[in-house]
Amino acid sequence: MSIQYCSKCVYPGVSATPLTFDDSGVCSGCRVNEMKSSIDWDRRWKMLQKITDEYRSDTNYDIVIPVSGGKDSYYQTHVAIHELGLKPLLVTYHGNNYLPEGEYNLFRMREVFDCDHIIVRPGVDTLIKMNRLGFKLQGDMNWHAHCGIFTVPIQVAVRYKVPLMMWGEHGFLDLGGMYSLNDFVEFTAKFRLEHALRGYDWHDFTDEGLEKLGRPELKEGLSAKDLMWGQYPTDDEIDAVGVRGIYLGNFVNWDANQHSRLVVEKYGWRPAAQPFERTYRMFSNLDDMHENGIHDYLKFIKFGYGRGTDHSCKDIRSGKMTRAEGIEMVRKYDHVKPRRDLERWLKYVGIPEDEFDAVCDTFRDPRVWRMENGKWVKDNIWGEASEYGNVHKDACGPGCRK
Amino acid sequence: MLKKRLIPVLLLQNGLLVRSELFKIHQIIGNPVHEVERFNQWNVDELVYLDITRGDKYDLRREDHKIKGLATPEAILDAVSRNCFMPLTWGGRIRSVEDMRRCINHGADKISINTSAVRTPELITAGAKAFGSQAIVVSIDVRAEGGSAREVFIDGGRESTGLDPVEWAIEAEKRGAGEILLQVIGRDGTGSGYDTGLIRDMSSAVRIPLVACSGVAMFEDYADGIKAGASAVAAANIWHFKELTDRAGKRAMARAGIDVRL
Ligand SMILES: [Zn+2]
Repeated sequence: MSIQYCSKCVYPGVSATPLTFDDSGVCSGCRVNEMKSSIDWDRRWKMLQKITDEYRSDTNYDIVIPVSGGKDSYYQTHVAIHELGLKPLLVTYHGNNYLPEGEYNLFRMREVFDCDHIIVRPGVDTLIKMNRLGFKLQGDMNWHAHCGIFTVPIQVAVRYKVPLMMWGEHGFLDLGGMYSLNDFVEFTAKFRLEHALRGYDWHDFTDEGLEKLGRPELKEGLSAKDLMWGQYPTDDEIDAVGVRGIYLGNFVNWDANQHSRLVVEKYGWRPAAQPFERTYRMFSNLDDMHENGIHDYLKFIKFGYGRGTDHSCKDIRSGKMTRAEGIEMVRKYDHVKPRRDLERWLKYVGIPEDEFDAVCDTFRDPRVWRMENGKWVKDNIWGEASEYGNVHKDACGPGCRK
Repeated sequence: MLKKRLIPVLLLQNGLLVRSELFKIHQIIGNPVHEVERFNQWNVDELVYLDITRGDKYDLRREDHKIKGLATPEAILDAVSRNCFMPLTWGGRIRSVEDMRRCINHGADKISINTSAVRTPELITAGAKAFGSQAIVVSIDVRAEGGSAREVFIDGGRESTGLDPVEWAIEAEKRGAGEILLQVIGRDGTGSGYDTGLIRDMSSAVRIPLVACSGVAMFEDYADGIKAGASAVAAANIWHFKELTDRAGKRAMARAGIDVRL
């Protein structure tokens, strides 16, 4: 079976973000993006004003804003304070791997916006264990971060009785076109569990949970008390406060490039100081030094594409890049095994590289990857098959021609 | 008087749940088991599951996802019914009493037929005889755009039939259908509200319960469907877009003076 690619951008049909193709071979991400130009954004802005007005409080924060310190966080906070006149409570999950530039941006939010900021930082030993577990259990060392980012803000909203959360852009809507902009999709527990966390929840990572999953060999000695930052409130707790999470991306015409210019000029926000190994962009994911490198490399292992694809899709859709230029970015970046990042992470968690490679191989999607003469091979968007290194996993699965 | 029901409709395409617009645009929403688990937590009245797959490819595999490898409609129905503690209607790709029996054996409580009901109306009667009228739902897809006459369409909105929706509902009832599920193609996924005129005409023409679907944008829309004569109101997309959609939907119905199970 060959992988279908979008005829407009460079997205593959087998991807981390669920997407579909229409009859002309254009992906749902491109189609939803095209909608932006026909939307009455003035009307949307009034809708947002109306919603936030309903939640204004005399005695409490008006809104909870989940922030990472990135360009989007600055933009959300700017809109909330200076355009909507709200008193926000900023909330951050800190997974211990900020780039220095990212941490600089994060800590300065309290100063440049003069607002209250709660930063939840789990214990470092726990985080190291969660890195190892996430990687081995489901091929994502940053599972803990997805869990923290989508849990801590709602915990805070419930605890501080602030019913409105304002997220930035809906990543799955934006990248893959999972929803229409007319759906006004809001934050849900189901989205968190199924999509952000891929069906696993915090309890799967405790010793008891791993036993239940049939993976007792992975036990790291974690208990419920180590993972309190990952425990989602109950429906009744959420209902009692009436918490809902809206996405700013449904109400303003979101243009990441324009927002970064604004936050750099107005607030002195800093992009990455050093280029990344797997993408050409300098302003994404500074809140985790492994996100653009080793975490994204895992996506290439699983699905055969990476940040080169993600970032060029965004730039193709916004008209900054042609499809041919995007394919060149894919060729240049998607397959790169990041040295700097890999070595740093392997040291952080104490895993040798050959073990890393063997675990990686257990997550290769058979719709993308095949084994030929002990090498991994896949078909590419430019119409050729290429080889991408040795097969490391011991057991040779179905379809193996070794 | 019976309480009015609020029913989520889940659309399954090639093994995954999809959001639908105009019966034409489908975006992947997620996997078929998680949503059912969530509806159980919410204590939903009833659930309609429609398999709108064309072709035979079922694939919800993601190597790193906790739920793996449900590669046939039966495997999906099994997993769904194992996790589903509310009455379950299953529809899509049902062409014979044997197909119905298979779905019931795999955990469905009711069967929904659409294309095959039009092509072989005897199937309604045969199904009602075998499993009881209450188990046979005739689903009717209507095109009612602009000034043109209302017409029943089949095969996922692709084939016209020349049938008048209200007359077809009356015939379906005569042949033994226990319930009608009404969908309106031009309103599907558009958030333009129910087709209350059609609901009114159809519900006053038949005695069996009418379940209204298509067009819901806000929880407040549900009351319009009930007030137009539906016994139950259904929706698909909105269940995926917001949190606690069951209690929020029922509260909106109760606020409008409708008797619901809160
Ligand atoms: Zn595309």
